[in-house]
Amino acid sequence: MEVNPPKQEHLLALKVMRLTKPTLFTNIPVTCEEKDLPGDLFNQLMRDDPSTVNGAEILMLGEMLTLPQNFGNIFLGETFSSYISVHNDSNQVVKDILVKADLQTSSQRLNLSASNAAVAELKPDCCIDDVIHHEVKEIGTHILVCAVSYTTQGGEKMYFRKFFKFQVLKPLDVKTKFYNAETDEVFLEAQIQNITTSPMFMEKVSLEPSIMYNVAELNSVNQAGECVTTFGSRTYLQPMDTRQYLYCLKPKKEFAEKAGIIKGVTVIGKLDIVWKTNLGERGRLQTSQLQRMAPGYGDVRLSLEAIPDTVILEEPFHITCKITNCSSERTMDLVLEMCNTNSIHWCGISGRQLGKLHPSSSLCLALTLLSSVQGLQSVSGLRLTDTFLKRTYEYDDIAQVCVVSSATKVES
Amino acid sequence: MGDAPGAEQSLTTEPRLAEGGAGSIAPEAPQQEPGLLYQEETIDLGGDEFGSEENEAVSDDSNNFADKLSEHMMESVLISDSPNNSEDDTGDLGGDLGGAQDVREPAGGSADRSPDSVPGQGKGAADTPSPDSESDADKAPKGVSEGTPGDRVALKADPEPEGKGLPACEHEDAGEPGPRHQGPPPPKDTPVPVCTIFSQAPAAAAQPSPFLQDGFESQMVKSPSFSGPSRPASGTPPPAVQPSPSLSTFFGETASASSLASDFFDSFTTSAFISVSNPHAGTAVPGQLSPLASPGTESSEPAVPTASLETPPSPKPFSQIQAVFAGSEDPFATALSMSEMDRRSDAWLPGEATRDVLVSVATQQYRTVFVDKENLTMPGLKFDNIQGDAVKDLLLRFLGEKAAARRTVADASAVEQSFVGLKQLISSRNWRAAVDLCGRLLTAHGQGYGKSGLPTSHTADSLQLWFVRLALLVKLGLFQNAELEFEPFGSLDQPDLYYEYYPHVYPGRRGSMVPFSMRILHAELQQYLGNPQESLDRLHRVKAVCSQILAHLEQGLAEDGSMSSISPENRQASVQLWRSRLGRVTCSMANCLLLMKDYVLAVDAYRSVTQFHPEQEPQLLSGIGRIFLQIGDIKTAEKYFQDVEKVTQKLDGPQGKTMVLMNRAFLHLGQNNFAEAHRFFTEILRIDPTNAVANNNAAVCLLYLGRLKDSLRQLEALVQQEPGHCLHESVLFNLTTMYELESSRSAQKKQALLEAVAGREGDSFNTQCLKLA
Repeated sequence: MEVNPPKQEHLLALKVMRLTKPTLFTNIPVTCEEKDLPGDLFNQLMRDDPSTVNGAEILMLGEMLTLPQNFGNIFLGETFSSYISVHNDSNQVVKDILVKADLQTSSQRLNLSASNAAVAELKPDCCIDDVIHHEVKEIGTHILVCAVSYTTQGGEKMYFRKFFKFQVLKPLDVKTKFYNAETDEVFLEAQIQNITTSPMFMEKVSLEPSIMYNVAELNSVNQAGECVTTFGSRTYLQPMDTRQYLYCLKPKKEFAEKAGIIKGVTVIGKLDIVWKTNLGERGRLQTSQLQRMAPGYGDVRLSLEAIPDTVILEEPFHITCKITNCSSERTMDLVLEMCNTNSIHWCGISGRQLGKLHPSSSLCLALTLLSSVQGLQSVSGLRLTDTFLKRTYEYDDIAQVCVVSSATKVES
Repeated sequence: MGDAPGAEQSLTTEPRLAEGGAGSIAPEAPQQEPGLLYQEETIDLGGDEFGSEENEAVSDDSNNFADKLSEHMMESVLISDSPNNSEDDTGDLGGDLGGAQDVREPAGGSADRSPDSVPGQGKGAADTPSPDSESDADKAPKGVSEGTPGDRVALKADPEPEGKGLPACEHEDAGEPGPRHQGPPPPKDTPVPVCTIFSQAPAAAAQPSPFLQDGFESQMVKSPSFSGPSRPASGTPPPAVQPSPSLSTFFGETASASSLASDFFDSFTTSAFISVSNPHAGTAVPGQLSPLASPGTESSEPAVPTASLETPPSPKPFSQIQAVFAGSEDPFATALSMSEMDRRSDAWLPGEATRDVLVSVATQQYRTVFVDKENLTMPGLKFDNIQGDAVKDLLLRFLGEKAAARRTVADASAVEQSFVGLKQLISSRNWRAAVDLCGRLLTAHGQGYGKSGLPTSHTADSLQLWFVRLALLVKLGLFQNAELEFEPFGSLDQPDLYYEYYPHVYPGRRGSMVPFSMRILHAELQQYLGNPQESLDRLHRVKAVCSQILAHLEQGLAEDGSMSSISPENRQASVQLWRSRLGRVTCSMANCLLLMKDYVLAVDAYRSVTQFHPEQEPQLLSGIGRIFLQIGDIKTAEKYFQDVEKVTQKLDGPQGKTMVLMNRAFLHLGQNNFAEAHRFFTEILRIDPTNAVANNNAAVCLLYLGRLKDSLRQLEALVQQEPGHCLHESVLFNLTTMYELESSRSAQKKQALLEAVAGREGDSFNTQCLKLA
């Protein structure tokens, strides 16, 4: 390609090469044994080959670095590095050379040149070298625009440009899912999929919570005093692999009360992801603010404040419920009914008046019940009736308790 | 300056990549093309025509929250093309769109650019997050982000006609089945001969997964410092596979050529070859029996039940002794005819069916043994002549006939037609000629061109010849050729590959004629052809036999499980041999797993190799460290490198120190610190100035530091000072790459390299690294 003279004879030539990380040369080991026909010959050939590992020639992955062989893929969040070389191909001294490298993205144009000062002169067969770096922040078409201006010996001002186009692809697919716990805690499950074509080492995946929440990462377990990741020895994601991260968000004290009655969308935070690929090529991305619809509790919310996890068969136990008036301005007059199910039997009076409940206020209620069936039982059958609107709210499957026979010793 | 040919270079990689995807994974596969320089573009950017296309994207955050209202539904952030782009999302459908390019034609593009806006494709898919937010939870399940056609980023392969030399990164959409560029000559796109394990994955792997209704919703990811939109891209990689480039030229079954060699061979077949035996085979055949092993007698020797209906010869007294096959009835006779060393290295455990046949051969003196033709090994040359000297061709092309005439490499006729000549060719790196000579010797043995499928008989020597020929084909990267000729050998377990099958030729001898290294080669070949799983299966079978033999030895039995008595020294030697073989096969498995990118298992396998070769521990640990470096796991790499430092402290001499410095340099490389990496590579040169790897790597670092001229000086000095050692394809590839970056006149410099190569290298030199074509 370089033998073709440019349309317009320029004294300078501009060459650009993307500097992805170099790769390690791999060789093809072919060995034989002493007794075979070639004797030691094949092994000797391998020892003579500078690309093999001295002393362990069969090891395929050598130590010899080779320069990138093609443009490769570039992904959002990675750093685009490029060598820009302007070479004086002519036999005359060229003056006042100015090399400018701009990157045109779909929304902006950035100047990437390290210096914008002109070089006074360039002798024949000499180079002006520049290595540019740019963290890629947009997806889609990018065009690197290199402009060179100079003055010939004859004083003629010359100028040319070259364009190098490349596509920036998306490296990760992130999916999220929220779970609302009985308490005001929110669990966030995030699936991160590597949609590049190379293995990806996840250096950091953290959730930066919004001001309302504190976050606890649930991606490691404590084993013998040491934090061990839940992902095992596989520290990397193969292409198309997905890894699931789990976070627990707790509303901060000052927001806790409000969070219970806040309706609609809340901002949870955003995921910050740092990964590395070949020889430490680094990339970093953040998700947009993750938003969640706070669960709708209707007008009246019934939540559990206390419940034992294991109870004894046919022995009464206590739970504490909290009833909150979530309506905006209506004061409620509530009646509590307790309906037995196959396994759950409520103790006490059904149909009692709970009195007036003002908007955004709540009351706590201790209830007694027993289970007649062993196993994991669902606490169901509470009914609240708003006497004014004659509307009944049903609360089933409020919680589960483990019912064991009295013979079984309850451990905890 | 839009010189069209420049772009051509990258464009032309497509057809060959598509072809590669169909078949084989060569280890050098991941590279697509030699031209890493950007292609030139003449697009004149007309200002801000891009601007409008994604402006609304900023509003994205607000329109996808509605998706998140539903907790159990699959929701996606919808991203749609701009209204003027209605094409479907082919990115999800086509298996191999590669890093497809949507060429966005700037409005201000000069007139000559028009051809590239091919109808229906070329226009840039301007992608904006959909204003239609799919807020309705009920229809959510369909909305994974890889969702509905038209709703997504359409990553389009660029179908523009080539000649124009437009896109900079066209090489990515390699496997694209659509538009093909036909113009340029094939040599243009020959791949660089450098193997990399870690680059591209097969295209299929990168396909977005099918819609999952798992309640997850897609999230936008963006650069932390950027507020604009990001959209999902379904960039699929180009297929990683490339066939050996030179293959097609040799592949045609040239029947005419075959006659040449066989004619030639008739003239000396009875002279030279017969007298030759493999000196390394040691006591392969007891002296008085050796004439039997020669092919001349062999072919007329009726003792061998080659075909099913052939009647075995009348019983001879000697064959009585052969009845010992199944057991150890006559250890004396066995010991008499079978040397310890042969037994040790030839031992193999045949499969059930093969074993039955061999037992009946051993006891056949009064009966006919029927062996199904399918159970026989009937190899033959599948192509007659791969001779050729790519260096000479290039000399002729670039430097004229005179230069080409000066280039002389030995061909198969130039040496003695024997094992001695064969070794000369191999050590002078004339592997093509050596392959040819193997072919001639095999032709003399009756297994020449066109003989495949015809009954034949085997000797230890003929199998050694096959091994050498196939090994050289693999070394030359001619994997398909090797595969073709390997095929008749099946799983290397047919009865006629065992000594017991030829009781009259090899009385008392047991075990397999197939060299152990040939089994390894047979297994490894598949991984170079893109079937690493098959390689792994075969290696596991080899490993199982090795383990079984070692178990026999530990139980006090002979290798094959028989009850013969072995002296303690011999047992010890045998255990040593089989342990080293187990180590060899384990290392092959590790290499194969590495090619499969199963790094966790590969690391485990390399670690277990250290049991068999404790002396290689520092190298293996360093290698594991480099694997982690390649994955990007710098911390674990560092851990392994620290282990190496501990292990090498016990070592004397510069080798350990070099290893430590090398690892430190690599670690800095992983931390993006090219200056420090360069310092450590240079440090190695102080200890070992001729270290080619350190020289080369230091030069590579210099380039990343923006010191092209210094880098070139270092590499040129390396090649000039150590031409015998350092005209290595990786070094030359780096050098030619830098020449291309340096100047428009790289061709002359490359030709100078060609001359240096011509004076030194044999016909096996891989000329692709010169990037002259």
